[in-house]
Amino acid sequence: MRGQVSSLVARRLIIALITLVIVSFAVFFATTLLPGDTATILLGQSATPEAVEGLRKAMHLDDPAIIRFLRWIAGLVQGDFGKSYANNVPVATLISGRFVNTMKLAGLTAVIAVPLALTLGITAAMWRGTLYDRIVTVGTIGIISVPEFMIATLAVLLFAVYLKWLPALSLTNEVKSLHDLVRIYAMPVMTLTFGVSAQMIRMTRAAVVETLNTPYVEMALLKGASRPRLVLRHALPNALGPIINAVALSLSYLLGGVIIVETIFNYPGVAKLMVDAVSTRDLPLIQTCAMIFCLGYLALITAADIIAVLSNPRLR
Amino acid sequence: MSDTTNWSCSDDAMIENAIRRGASRRDLLKLMLANGVAMAAAGTIFGRASEAVAATPVKGGALKAAAWSSSTADTLDPAKASLSTDYVRCCSFYNRLTFLDQTGVPQMELAESIESGDAKTWTIKLKKGVSFHNGKELGADDVIFSLKRHLDKATGSKVAAIASQMTDFKAVDKTTVEVTLASPNADLPTILSMHHFMIVADGTTDFSSGNGTGAFKCKQFTPGERSIGVRNPNYFKGGPNVDSFEFFAIPDENARINALLSGDIHLAASINPRSVRLLDGKDGFALSTTTSGTYTDLNIRMDMAPGNVSDFVEGMKYVVNREQIVKSALRGFGVVGNDQPVSPANVYHNAALKPKTFDPDKAKFHFQKAGVLGQTIEVITSEAPGSAIDMAMIIQASAAQIGMKLDMKRVPSDGYWSNYWLKAPIHFGNINPRPTPDILFSLLYKSDAPWNESRFVSEKFDKMLLEARGSLDQAKRREMYNEMQVLVSEQAGTIIPAYISNVDAITAKLKGLQPNPLGGMMGYAFAEYVWLTA
Amino acid sequence: MTNPTSSGRLSMRLGYRFNLVGMSALGIILLWAGIALFAPQIIPHSVGEIVDTDYFGPVSRDLWFGSDYLGRDIFSRILMGARYTLGISLAAVSIACFSGVALGMTAAVAGGWFDSMLSRFLDALNSIPSKLFGLVVVAAVGSSIPALIATLSVIYTPGAYRFARALAVNVNTMDFMVVARIRGERLPYLIASEILPNILGPVLADLGLRFVFIVLLLSGLSFLGLGVQPPYADWGALVRENIGGLPFGAPAVIFPSLAIASLTISVNLLIDNLPSRIRDRSAE
Repeated sequence: MRGQVSSLVARRLIIALITLVIVSFAVFFATTLLPGDTATILLGQSATPEAVEGLRKAMHLDDPAIIRFLRWIAGLVQGDFGKSYANNVPVATLISGRFVNTMKLAGLTAVIAVPLALTLGITAAMWRGTLYDRIVTVGTIGIISVPEFMIATLAVLLFAVYLKWLPALSLTNEVKSLHDLVRIYAMPVMTLTFGVSAQMIRMTRAAVVETLNTPYVEMALLKGASRPRLVLRHALPNALGPIINAVALSLSYLLGGVIIVETIFNYPGVAKLMVDAVSTRDLPLIQTCAMIFCLGYLALITAADIIAVLSNPRLR
Repeated sequence: MSDTTNWSCSDDAMIENAIRRGASRRDLLKLMLANGVAMAAAGTIFGRASEAVAATPVKGGALKAAAWSSSTADTLDPAKASLSTDYVRCCSFYNRLTFLDQTGVPQMELAESIESGDAKTWTIKLKKGVSFHNGKELGADDVIFSLKRHLDKATGSKVAAIASQMTDFKAVDKTTVEVTLASPNADLPTILSMHHFMIVADGTTDFSSGNGTGAFKCKQFTPGERSIGVRNPNYFKGGPNVDSFEFFAIPDENARINALLSGDIHLAASINPRSVRLLDGKDGFALSTTTSGTYTDLNIRMDMAPGNVSDFVEGMKYVVNREQIVKSALRGFGVVGNDQPVSPANVYHNAALKPKTFDPDKAKFHFQKAGVLGQTIEVITSEAPGSAIDMAMIIQASAAQIGMKLDMKRVPSDGYWSNYWLKAPIHFGNINPRPTPDILFSLLYKSDAPWNESRFVSEKFDKMLLEARGSLDQAKRREMYNEMQVLVSEQAGTIIPAYISNVDAITAKLKGLQPNPLGGMMGYAFAEYVWLTA
Repeated sequence: MTNPTSSGRLSMRLGYRFNLVGMSALGIILLWAGIALFAPQIIPHSVGEIVDTDYFGPVSRDLWFGSDYLGRDIFSRILMGARYTLGISLAAVSIACFSGVALGMTAAVAGGWFDSMLSRFLDALNSIPSKLFGLVVVAAVGSSIPALIATLSVIYTPGAYRFARALAVNVNTMDFMVVARIRGERLPYLIASEILPNILGPVLADLGLRFVFIVLLLSGLSFLGLGVQPPYADWGALVRENIGGLPFGAPAVIFPSLAIASLTISVNLLIDNLPSRIRDRSAE
């Protein structure tokens, strides 16, 4: 079985590489489709043709985009992410600190959200049809129906402005103790947990309920298995594939989709960097960010696929 | 800086203030110009004496402030500075030759004096004993390098067009520079107070360390994240009051105010007028309002349909309900405009030129004459130019009342300036304050102006512009600028419904903030002047 | 503990109560649909007209839901917004889920190269940031409601695909599938008659969630310049443009939020209460 998993991983790695190349080209063509280039955007209102011409030359943007892109790919193979067009700083320098921030936020959120969501989802399925189930359902949908920017703003109003328990901004450079860490991450993590848990709760509940209806679970029921045992031993293993996929999809959002949380709490992460890069048409930066998001996504779904295969003996 | 006022105000007081400031400025200018255009230290005599309330600055403290926009394109290269965030940072790390005081009069900063006999050849004498953060002493070479680099296209300077009139630079001695202009321009000292003309060290190519002569030394600068400056102990003006200055942007409007309310920052720049209600009646917070001539304008290109029919333009001018725009879109934080770029904050504002009033009947008459009534006319709007979306909504609703259908098309703010501005037949623009009418007119209304938003062409106007620029006769100059404002207001296709006030919200602990005609946050230079009380 | 209600379908009493919840959810959805259809006839004020000199005004006799940030009538704006939120979201979620689920089941049953290629392609599609994607669409085809629906569908198809495929792969290994294959059934029959009924519950739950996400993302894309044009606004946009009223507890931000919540909760409750009936049938 181990050999099977490693061959699966190896195959997935090759496929991931191909996917990365496809994404890279897709992002490149998307970027070139956008009107304007870095020189015109940086000059903004002062973009007269001569000024643009001069700046393009100075920034070495006068080569065709495809040449610059291929050059970037060639550099990437050697481990060089290139230099940002907008400020001439190596992309690696720009990203490294923010990447760590994004991983920290995503990690903390995942550690809290995944167990919470799975517990709520499984228990809701276990006691399907009860008041508890309905509270979880309505609560979950209610919470994701509130736009993220509203949850974040409400949290700040409550905890920072009125109660003054927490700082309104998550300034990472001020973390000196565990206490600081909790204060700074509390609100962003809470906001994100609300956002990503819902999908996991709902999907877990739905998948478990579905398997509860299969003949073999009914068989177990007739044999007199207790309800928790029924769910945990019989239904859950079979529902694991879809659940783990929902978890992977939800978590992939934490890498590139947290722009609102980053903006409201002034938290320097990769999502904001990507948005900046798109608006300045900063090709090396866009590409590197896109690669990071794509890698994160692929890692998550590959893990999900492997777990799904392992969980279902017939798929092995 | 002991004569700073402890300042806060509501919108009523602001207008009153502006009028008062205007009056004193006029007197000052007359006095200055009686001596040719030698301006050394003119303002210090009259400038701040009037409304000063004795308040003693306190030393120490870590100042934190937040602006509204920041990206990886943030720069410490003054020539490339494009956002208020860049201006604030440049002001804290560098100095200019001159700066504008709160009354709009140029004061000497790095320059000891700037003099000219003919407004064409100017002699700039530098202060002695000023040094850059890295220890290098300020000299004529630095000034020539700093000014000259705007002429190099590779620099990507935002003020290349304005700088192009400086044709020759000469170092007379170690601290004297002679600048020759292509044609006489009496406004040079004012032009040099623009934020892009900060003085950098000779030969600088990497600006990320912020090596200037300014009040703060750059400790950290991460584009799109933050900058931290620490007090420059050798600052030639005698050091800033605060120990350190941290500056970043919180683009989300509510988040910015909440950060102020929760005590995380001392100043939230440029808040929405609607948020003022939040601070009303709350102890410990104050507003600082500046009406400096920023405006969002509706541009109708007169070289293509439908703007090539003058009745259409005329109709549009009557259908714009300026009062309502000031009241509903700006919530009173603005002054009704009269379709020309010289705001009441400017010395040369023509107060006799009254704004057009909202008149649906006249508008209907003109639209009928132009034959556009019943047609649907497309207007491009976007989040990019200031309050354009709100204005568009108001104009659309007024036009609908008389059966004029305006199709307000919202386009992405991404790439707005390169794709729609100046290009679409009817679109919105946004103009930041410029210190002199000459800059405004040359940039925006001269027949071959780079940003001629409505394609306004008038030989008479062009001739007057050149004449006024080189004129040292103040009365004649004023008369010409007055007439040019009338020309623009009546003939150009740019509708300027209001001059928009900038509102900065501050904690009451922050003292010494004054309004400045160059823009909010004390003309972006507040960090070195303010202080924090316990 | 062998409580017969544990399977969720044996008790008539419980079934009846579920139906009541389901019925009221359906009622709310139909109410909004009716409002969407007849909005232009029933709005008391024009959507763009400024009727209040104040902003974020309170609930009053004339302005039932108060006034917005410019002093416009929020009640009228919500009624008109129902058209956009309901119409666009339903269209987009139908397209996204139909194509995602159909492709997911096909991939699971067909397997092999088809599965691999399609999965990689959709993974790649999912990796393109939605802002970049939205901007490209505006640049390429301009702004229109169909373009907005298409964009939303494309953004949400890969997720629906991945989830449906994960479900279908499990079902595909079941004995009855082996039997059906041996019987020589064709692909359309396999996915429609064997796979779909067995994954319908989770797929519908997924659809309900995707509907919520689309309702919310809709306003984000409109702000990029893709889709609903001012003065009209969908509900998400109403919340967004009036968010400044949150500290005052302005009705202008509360009522659109409630409108969104009522619709999204109803859609999901309806879905939750449908499967028990459908499943009853499929199990018999």
